Amino acid sequence: MIFSRNWIGDYVELSETAQQLADRLTSAGLAVDGLETVDDDVLFDVDITTNRPDCMNHLGLARELAVLTGKALKPPEAQLEPASELVSSVAELVIEDPELCPRYTALVIRDVTVGPSPPWLAKRLEAIGSRSINNVVDVTNYVLWETGQPLHAFDLDRLAGSSTDSPAQVQVRRATDGETLKTLDGETRKLDPSILVIADAEQAIALGGIMGGFDSEVTTETSNVLLESAHFDPRIVQKGSKKLGLHTDAGHRFERGADPEACLWASRRAAALIVQVAGGEVLAGELDAKQLRSDWPHVLELDLGKLNRFGGLEIDSSEVESTFTGLGFELEPQGESPATRWRVTVPSWRAYDFEDPRVADLYEEVLRIHGFDDIPSTLPQIGGADAPARGEHLRARKVRDHLVACGFAEAIDFAFTDRASDQACPSLYGDLEPLALQNPLSDRYAVMRRSLLSNLLASARYNQRRGAAVVRLFEVGHVFADGGGGSKLEMDTVAWVAGGRLGTPWEREHEVDFYDLKGVVDSLALVLGVTFVSRPAAVPGLMEGAAAEISIEGADDQVVGVLGQVADEDGPYPLFVVEIALDRVGLPTGSLAIQAPSKYPAIAVDMTLTHAVSVVWSDIERTIRDQGASELKEYGLKDRYRGKGVPEGAVNTTLSFLYNSDHRSLSQEEVNNYHDGLARKLEERFGYHPEARGSGPQTV
Amino acid sequence: MTASSTELQRLAEKFETAASEVKDRMSWDALRLEWTGRKQGLLKSLLGRMKDILPEERRDYGQGVNRLKVRVEERLTELSEALATAERQAEQGQRALDVTLPGRQPAVGSLHPITRVNREIETIFTELGYSVADGPEIEDDFHNFEALNFPPGHPAREMQDTLFLENGMLLRTHTSPVQIRTMLKRAENPPIRVICPGRVYRNDNDLRHSPMFHQVEGLAVAEGITLGDLKGTLEAFVKRLFSAETGIRLRPSFFPFTEPSAEVDVTCPFCTGGGCAVCSQTGWMEILGSGMVDPRVLAGCGIDPDRYSGFAFGLGIDRVAMIKYGIPNIRMLFDNDERMLRQVRG
Repeated sequence: MIFSRNWIGDYVELSETAQQLADRLTSAGLAVDGLETVDDDVLFDVDITTNRPDCMNHLGLARELAVLTGKALKPPEAQLEPASELVSSVAELVIEDPELCPRYTALVIRDVTVGPSPPWLAKRLEAIGSRSINNVVDVTNYVLWETGQPLHAFDLDRLAGSSTDSPAQVQVRRATDGETLKTLDGETRKLDPSILVIADAEQAIALGGIMGGFDSEVTTETSNVLLESAHFDPRIVQKGSKKLGLHTDAGHRFERGADPEACLWASRRAAALIVQVAGGEVLAGELDAKQLRSDWPHVLELDLGKLNRFGGLEIDSSEVESTFTGLGFELEPQGESPATRWRVTVPSWRAYDFEDPRVADLYEEVLRIHGFDDIPSTLPQIGGADAPARGEHLRARKVRDHLVACGFAEAIDFAFTDRASDQACPSLYGDLEPLALQNPLSDRYAVMRRSLLSNLLASARYNQRRGAAVVRLFEVGHVFADGGGGSKLEMDTVAWVAGGRLGTPWEREHEVDFYDLKGVVDSLALVLGVTFVSRPAAVPGLMEGAAAEISIEGADDQVVGVLGQVADEDGPYPLFVVEIALDRVGLPTGSLAIQAPSKYPAIAVDMTLTHAVSVVWSDIERTIRDQGASELKEYGLKDRYRGKGVPEGAVNTTLSFLYNSDHRSLSQEEVNNYHDGLARKLEERFGYHPEARGSGPQTV
Repeated sequence: MTASSTELQRLAEKFETAASEVKDRMSWDALRLEWTGRKQGLLKSLLGRMKDILPEERRDYGQGVNRLKVRVEERLTELSEALATAERQAEQGQRALDVTLPGRQPAVGSLHPITRVNREIETIFTELGYSVADGPEIEDDFHNFEALNFPPGHPAREMQDTLFLENGMLLRTHTSPVQIRTMLKRAENPPIRVICPGRVYRNDNDLRHSPMFHQVEGLAVAEGITLGDLKGTLEAFVKRLFSAETGIRLRPSFFPFTEPSAEVDVTCPFCTGGGCAVCSQTGWMEILGSGMVDPRVLAGCGIDPDRYSGFAFGLGIDRVAMIKYGIPNIRMLFDNDERMLRQVRG
């Protein structure tokens, strides 16, 4: 908000430089964002927070500066020489809902000559970026920027009934359904009862607290003016402005809370100025319908000792008194002099800032005027530690660390995505509806992701497009879905994507494939204290025959993850993805105990099994485990080979076995005996026999 | 000098010359054969000529031949050893590694800069005795606004452009709802010291704003917490986060949930307060909002504001990450370009 130094100077003597004034204002919570010298004036750009509508005018800011620089405030005066005719003989008020309009005042000025404003008036308004319209309207704007009180001038003769002998009626009421009003900006607006209007006996003539009507505005034809100066409840103005999408200077102030006591004196000030710049005379008396809230003014008790303990400072009585008095608070000392306790009455222009007031509101006033610089730095005196970290938090940390150890770079994607991507990518919550945004930034961000993969895949594609030979990204975050019945699901999830060629021939390059990602799944299982099993599955978005569902061993009915090759082959090389619902896996619980390695030498044995391609590893593995002797410490897949020397439709699987005992050295002979038995069993069950070809998968 | 001794002298000189010309094993072998060959070696034939030498010269001749023989054998051994050393060196030269070749780096990954900064902040505050709390990103009006003293319809809500869901819920605009949830849960037993990191959302998307970003907020509630405690805590925090030289400046401001409220500037980490392009020559950077918890907020959570007081603060993690890693644009944080992500260390 722009303020003119010369204008402020009307109400307080300013001997400091503009920069000094700016620093003082900033240190008191009125941040000056910019200073600009224009001719003989300096313009202050001040960031006025929403709780300080009282400072959204020159007098209000002058009040702060008077306190901050120790000067006296000189408010403007209004000298009226009223005519003999009474205002009540030409207009009357009907306030239908005093809660929405706790005060409405009107003055009438007769025989004005509407025309251009004198240069001093036009110049002041233009300096702060407001357009000069005509002398009467300019005065209302001037007084708004001077006192903060929004005013509106009606052409009295355009109000219904103003030509009759009886007074014209000014009503304040809710609009009726379907009622319309052409506002000052020329727009015809459709109204409803959530909007407050000013009306004459026939129709709406203005939006209460927001904008005047087109047909009753002051023009060069106008000679008699009805000057409205009212107080509207913030909530009705907030609702009306929002509904109509109409943001005005008047609305801006009423929404934040104007000064209920300023109506009449600001109106008199404006009337005096109108007479000064447009001639005419002010009718005697005023219309004033006033029904203010019973809890105004706010009164609080202040204790100096408590204030100083709160701030950790030593502020004395006289500073408290001069601060509050300067800001317009009334102080009633309690007890001895110098007082350390007061009853404090909040000025009307701070009524809304002190809504449901607490003594901390008063502390703030003293501390912000004092400045925060001398507050000593201390640490809270609290013994002991706080609560332990949540398991989910620690789990997310372990998962991140593990993926980093596996060579992945952590990504952070937006949590919203477009509907098509959300629909197309594999999701563990695909059976639930996505949560849609009411006011998305664009269609690209229309729904909350049901899977991390929608945006993570987009990030992988982004890297591919920039020529990345290999992509390895992961993300840990929440996914969301509609839980039905107005509820939502929000779940901890991890996902990763990889593809491409890792390294150079010198670095022993390696083509990333399905089993690389599966290896990360299985190693993550160790971190999470579970064993994962994968089974082939049709997963939307993943390539048929290269997709799996993951579950926890022994709990096959619940899918906790998906793994596979992305079906859509847009990029230069295939991408593989994994997503795991951490909330379905649970918190890491398994035993951490290690097994001491045997002191005795181990014996390693390899065997190669030629079996049909249709034989699955998990069946071979189960056979080994079922056969298992405690001496078989480890077994695993050493290699797979298809090609020359292996019959069509078969594959050579080389297995490695490691035998050992915790109690003694095994002899080669007993290992051979045992191993030959196992080898025979495997050969019997899975061995490739061409004559059996065509008899279906050889599984047990 | 006898004729025979003159000849021996000449032969010795000849040998020295030939020996000095030995360059490799082959020429060494030839030299050895020529002089010490069992059948036709020169030394052998010299000894064979003894019978032709005058008897009075025989002794001298014999001694002269012997001296020559010793010299030849010594010299041949010496040459052989030198050749062996040279050969060994040559062989080693073939086998030696070029230790300047690039090593094969293990495929290490990287944490996102935001996660790194987040962890750093968590470490600082856990050392100061705080715990870490988290909460949902989809919130209701009560936890995100009402309990934080934002009345319905109040313009203060416009300070935080909110993204709403069709079901009437909203994406949290700050992590303050986690503070509310913590206070509601622990109203019976302050003191409370928590930090609440997490993703937050605003309806704001331009060069300087991302619709999703990250905050960490802190909250301390106990008997006798003062504004000085807030200042001291923030000072301790920024000195650990940036450097021991970092200072802070509190400016009164307004947030609905704190009273009084303060914006917190820290001395610019780039120029340590001298003024530079990054801080627009002011020497300061505004990175934190803070204040004393509004008594209405405490009371709303069931904490007696006459007995307890508290402070709260919040800062943007993204901003700190940009400062620390020199990332020029907030949008780069969410491009997930591996060329950037994998540079992030420490």
